[in-house]
This record gives sequence, C-alpha cells and structure tokens, in this order.
Amino acid sequence: MLTGEFIAFMALALVAIIGGVLLINLTKVIHMVVALVFTFVSIAGIFVILSAEFIAAVQILIYSGAITIIMLFGIMLTRHDDTSEPITGKWRKLFLLLGVLGFGVAVYIGIYNLDIPQAANTLHVDNTEQIGISLYSHFIIPFELTSVLLLVALIGAIVLAKKDEDDEKEAEKE
Amino acid sequence: MELLNLYQNNYLIVFVFLCLGVILPLVALYLGKLLRPYKPYDAKYTTYESGIEPFHDSRVQFNVRYYIFALMFVIFDVETVFLYPWAVAYEKLGIFALIEMLIFVLMLVIGLVYAWKKKVLKWT
Repeated sequence: MLTGEFIAFMALALVAIIGGVLLINLTKVIHMVVALVFTFVSIAGIFVILSAEFIAAVQILIYSGAITIIMLFGIMLTRHDDTSEPITGKWRKLFLLLGVLGFGVAVYIGIYNLDIPQAANTLHVDNTEQIGISLYSHFIIPFELTSVLLLVALIGAIVLAKKDEDDEKEAEKE
Repeated sequence: MELLNLYQNNYLIVFVFLCLGVILPLVALYLGKLLRPYKPYDAKYTTYESGIEPFHDSRVQFNVRYYIFALMFVIFDVETVFLYPWAVAYEKLGIFALIEMLIFVLMLVIGLVYAWKKKVLKWT
C-alpha cells in the first residue's frame, strides 16, 4: 500500500531519525543544533500529515525557532569549544547496549498491539478553532496552570541569572 | 475520508515550493561555479582583503544577559501561541474565555513586572 501519505511519512521519519543520530554523533555543537532543527521541522511535517496544522505551526514557531535560539545562547554561554572525549570501558558499553535493547523491546511490546480508536476525521476543518474551543471550555485548569508554570520559569530564570551578575559586580568592586 | 485526501493533496504545492526553495540556490551556486574563472591565491582566502587581520575564534563566550532575553522571548512566544486559538474561537466561547485569558495574561504581566523591577530589561 504505497500511498502518498505513506511516502511522506517515511521521508519525514527518516529525516527526523537522521537528524537525531547526527545530533548525537557530530562533534561541533553548532552542527548539532542544525541537526536538531532538521528533526524539529520533520516532526512538524508529521503533524501536518496527522491533520494537526496548528500544532505543526507551533512546532516550527516554538521549537525550531525559539527553543533552538535558547539552546544556542545556552551553548554560547558555556565553554563550547570543547570536543567530547571518547569514553572507554567494556562494561559501560555492554550495559548501554542492554539498556538500549531493553528500551527497544519495551517500546515494541508497548506499541505493537496498541489499539487507538479511530477518531472522527474532521480535524482539518477549522483546526485552530477546534483547539480553541476544547482548550478554553474543557481544559481550563491545565491552561491556567500553564500560565503559572510559565511564570515560575520566568522568575526562576531571572533569579538564577541575576544572582550571578550581582556576584560578578561585587567581585569587580573588590 | 475523500475530503481529507483532497485537502491533504493541497500540500503537494507546499512540497513543490520546498523543492524549488532547495533546488534554486543549489543550481544558481553550481552554475556560478561553472561559469566563473578559478584562480586562487592566498590573499583571496583572507576574510578581509584590506583590513584588520582577524584573530581569535568568532564563537566567543556570550554575556548571560542574552540568555535572559532569549528566555523571555520564548516565554512570551508560548503566551502568543495560546492567544491564537483563543482569538480564532472567541466568538463561540464568550465572556468566560475572556476572563480566563485575562487571568493568563495577568500571570505573565506579573512576570514582566518582576523582570522590570529586577532591572533585567536594562542593558547597563
């Protein structure tokens, strides 16, 4: 069954996985971030296939835009010219392999017979409006909690980063 | 189901544009490489032919302030994303959703005021 949807999904999934593998295997951090962007964009494409266009737009807007920028800044703040050293050790590799295999088997068992009931196929009709209606009438409390979470993130970041700066100023004075 | 397929076929145009966007610069750069003369010497490979010699790696350690600005950008970006579905579905939701959204925005305004008071928005 070689439909266009299938081909598109395979291509996007391939790009996403290759991006993920490159993210781990590349040595320079900037290249890693570019690989990560490829993964994010192809995940947005998969959302489009699933008729979740608003989520796809958000994925591009937030993840491949904002999160990538914040990761770049985070990298630029640290000593990013280091290259990672190869970690040796037979036992470590063996346990790693066992862990990966165990995770793979667990996921396979988990999703092989998973039966997701077919939902109504009208997601593509006014996608954003449907999200708005369900978000602001059924899921009010999670939505308001999100605002609290964002507030906590903002204040937490300011507390952490500003404290460093004040220390620097004091150090300069001394 | 028919309608959905018909709808998704519209993305073929998006795909065509994606291909054009990738192919066009590649072809243009490759044609330029074919047409231009190739006579390299050392001075051509310097960053500025007449100017200060560049030194040091260009990827230096950034100031922590950039990070706070980026983080605030992300947080208000997420807020904006929540505003879109609210604005689109506003007519069907009514006054209750307006109050919800006001609470939501108020929470983030508290964060903004906190940042302002902490002088995060100032550069000096």
